[in-house]
Amino acid sequence: MPGYPFRRPVAAVATLAALLPLAACSQASDAEQGGPTTITLSMQNPDVKTADPATWAIVEAFESANPDVDVEVSGQPVAEHLQSLSIAAQSDTLPDVFWVYKSNAEEMLAGDRLLDLQPILEEQGVIDSLPATTVEYFTSDGTVFGVPYQGLLTGLWTNTQVLSDHGLSTPTTFDELLQVAETLADEDVVTISNGASQSAFSVWQFLVWLDRFGFEEKMDGLLDGSESWENPDFVRMYEHIAELRDAGAFSSNVSTQTYQQAVDQFLQGEAAFLDAGVWAAGAIQDSEVAPDTTFWKGPTFSDGVGEQNIIMNVASAPLVVAKKVGEDEAKLDAVERFLGFYYSDEAQQLMVDNGQPPVTTYEPELDEKEQSVLKSALDAAREEGVSTPGTQPDLVFPVAVSNAIYDSIYGVIQDQLTPEEAAALVQRALDAE
Amino acid sequence: MIWLSSRWRIAVMVLPAVVLFTLFFAYPVLYGVGYSLTDAQGFSAPRLIGLDNYAALGDDPFFWLSLKNTVIILVVSVAFLVPASFALALLMQQRIRAAGALRALLFGPAIVAPILVGLVWVFILDPRVGLLNRLLVPLGIPEIQWIGGDSLTPYSIALVFSWASIGFAMTIFYAGLQQLPDDVMEASSLDGATRWQQLLHVTVPMMRETIGIVSILLVTNVFKIFELVYMLTGGGPVHRSETLVSYMYFVTFTSQRYGAGMAIAVVVLVLGALTSLVYLALARRGRSA
Repeated sequence: MPGYPFRRPVAAVATLAALLPLAACSQASDAEQGGPTTITLSMQNPDVKTADPATWAIVEAFESANPDVDVEVSGQPVAEHLQSLSIAAQSDTLPDVFWVYKSNAEEMLAGDRLLDLQPILEEQGVIDSLPATTVEYFTSDGTVFGVPYQGLLTGLWTNTQVLSDHGLSTPTTFDELLQVAETLADEDVVTISNGASQSAFSVWQFLVWLDRFGFEEKMDGLLDGSESWENPDFVRMYEHIAELRDAGAFSSNVSTQTYQQAVDQFLQGEAAFLDAGVWAAGAIQDSEVAPDTTFWKGPTFSDGVGEQNIIMNVASAPLVVAKKVGEDEAKLDAVERFLGFYYSDEAQQLMVDNGQPPVTTYEPELDEKEQSVLKSALDAAREEGVSTPGTQPDLVFPVAVSNAIYDSIYGVIQDQLTPEEAAALVQRALDAE
Repeated sequence: MIWLSSRWRIAVMVLPAVVLFTLFFAYPVLYGVGYSLTDAQGFSAPRLIGLDNYAALGDDPFFWLSLKNTVIILVVSVAFLVPASFALALLMQQRIRAAGALRALLFGPAIVAPILVGLVWVFILDPRVGLLNRLLVPLGIPEIQWIGGDSLTPYSIALVFSWASIGFAMTIFYAGLQQLPDDVMEASSLDGATRWQQLLHVTVPMMRETIGIVSILLVTNVFKIFELVYMLTGGGPVHRSETLVSYMYFVTFTSQRYGAGMAIAVVVLVLGALTSLVYLALARRGRSA
């Protein structure tokens, strides 16, 4: 065959290329091969390094302290992340540690895809440093299936300068907030900055309102179907949102602006309040409104139900561990050490340094000047007499119901739904489940 | 030719196309149809629930809203785009200065990614910060909810879709006009036909195939509108501006109701195919009449 002088080398390369994927299928772990053990951490942010600096800092510090472990961090936007997890769950190729909604985690647990974290947390001493309600929240049928990824401390960031410029002060009750909205609307100033476009979930303050209208007491009934969302208390809460809307509290482009644009509106001093949480502390701290910004837990209601002096300071969606991690001794050891580090005082301080509240009982050190914005939120959460609900209302339901809750609130804010229609929308979603 | 006339050789040559079609079209469609008959939610094993997802669509007001919006966009787009792009193609055929540059300029929006088109138009149509209201409000005209309200949004989406598609449709018409035989046009001129008569009785009948192709392309593209809605309104307020595809995305991926989402996808497929078939049948009847 003189016409094909490269036949043998080409065949050799082709054979090698065909065999390479087989090598990847090898069962030998990294540790068995002598290299560092790799664990995968999959998150709900496309760029973890910039969008979630707290997690990134913890991973970096963990790797420095544990050179024999390599944490491979990846991330995608929430919808894509969940879609990937869904495919991975079906093919048993889940990442080792990952962020997921609680309701999805419970489905995975039922499908025997998640590791029981109780032994790990006990061995690492993490259980004692987490609030008991948090552990209980991530326990199902005696199995601890998740640990809190970050804290969810939400409220209304308040630009006191905007208020004082119009002769106003931070309100306490709903009636006072209504008066603030009426005054600011006359001056063409936005009272509460919200953005519904591509961020229908950005209604944190109004989720607290649900708790001020008896959500905690109604929760079990709503879950088992013995209580209706169309109850007079919730309808009254929607009526108060409608009153705020009619007073001109929201931006006229609340439908088309995104959450990020709502944040920008506040940072530019164009709104008195921003509906958000501690995650916005960093951006506010870096802006010109930082010296005038305080954190307000929201209004109390004279016609509310139950405790009014509450602040939303709960565990967000959990971090969970794939069951197959338990089959690889080296990987299990690496994950154990990672979780132990994640909830250590050192890592919790890193969280605080990157604008997140600690999720354990750790008392953080704060720089009064450089972290004044975050401090105001943490101070509000530690105020005497203030209590926190067990969870944020949207987090206890399947995603479809959570979306209906967001739609119902924005529906009233945008004058698309009456209070009764808003309540009915959520009830319909509950019925469908 | 003798080699090609063998049946099995023809079959072998067609086989790659059949395999690709089956892999990338038929299989996903059948898979989607299968999923639409389940309660799949992503993380647990799906259960077969028959036609429940389709029945639930009947009671879902947001599905009917998204269907209504899609029909509005379809009617407005086709009614405006086909004659407008045809008129532009006729204009481009005239001897005008810088016709090439003008053609390129008109075709420009067609090569911009729809997500960017949406982003650009948000800054024009947004009721508070948009350019349009910033021009109109100082003239004493009250702030208009071009997008984000519950009445004008589908028309605004149709406008933006038309802006993005007109250059593409015009290019196809222009190519079609270039193919018309000169002798027929000359003969009609010699017979004393005016330009209007020429257009009505010679050009349009000879362009019928091209008009059909452009219409079908526009119809199928309208049924695929997603990015424009996503960028302009995110489907809001409260799903009032969803199209079928954007609502399908919301149900499938945001609400994680994969079975219900696939039922909407099947409806979109059937509606798109039906609309195209009806249009083709009407065009064929017009040709044979």
